[in-house]
Amino acid sequence: MVERVNNCVIPKDLYYKVEDNTWVKLNDDGTVTVGMTDIAQSLAGPILHAKTKKIGMYRKRGKPIATVESGKWVGPIKAPVSGEIAEINEELENDPKLLNKSPYRKGWVVKLKPDNLDEELKDLVTGDEAVAKYREKIEAEGLQCTHLEGTDSYED
Amino acid sequence: MELEGKKILVIQTHGVEAPTRTYSPLYYAVAAAAMEMEVMVWFTMNGTNQLRKGVAEMIKLDPSSNVCLKDMLQMCLDNDVKLAVCQQSLNLWNMTPDDLIDGVEILGATSIIDLALSYDHVMYF
Repeated sequence: MVERVNNCVIPKDLYYKVEDNTWVKLNDDGTVTVGMTDIAQSLAGPILHAKTKKIGMYRKRGKPIATVESGKWVGPIKAPVSGEIAEINEELENDPKLLNKSPYRKGWVVKLKPDNLDEELKDLVTGDEAVAKYREKIEAEGLQCTHLEGTDSYED
Repeated sequence: MELEGKKILVIQTHGVEAPTRTYSPLYYAVAAAAMEMEVMVWFTMNGTNQLRKGVAEMIKLDPSSNVCLKDMLQMCLDNDVKLAVCQQSLNLWNMTPDDLIDGVEILGATSIIDLALSYDHVMYF
């Protein structure tokens, strides 16, 4: 279920907004979990601070759900789909490097209650198509993912 | 406090002669933009010289890093931070509009006074 391209981990069961380096996981309760990709954490380097938006805030697709800072990079994590913030990952405040070490699991950023999911999912890619798109991007930009000690192995 | 939509003006008066004073104002500007504020960086006095084409590429804070000042300026533009330079300060450095990197607006002193009054906060470096 997990593909690796130039050391970059790409789980095939997630949906991706490739240009923003974000992912979406569909949950059984109708919410979606959102986070940043392994490529995003590699480009940013060790994350020093992460500040999520507040629960209850409505985020239109493309608006920030969080602001992330490393020593060399600062920027928004953009909502890949529209929805209200239902839950935030409070662990990130104390341990922002979860974004580096476990971008697809412990380093999730927010859960959204999406309100236009069927339509907006059409603009995201998943499975083999996602791997192909990322392979293209990784090769075109000469990207190589780097991992901090203690990074998730994704072997289970 | 609702931050979205607030306006911040960052005034940068330091340039290539003080590399350690060049990065942070741009970093703050991008952080504010990422927090959905409207941000302008205004380059004047020595700040102007970092906008000469080919110069910011040479300014690296950490020699082991591949990040240069040009990347920070580009990060500003990518996050819709407006970059503006003082018309009069171009003369100080014998620069013409053609010498400037792309994406920089040229404004006169009266404009900056108007801007400073219209923004919610001014950060001066």
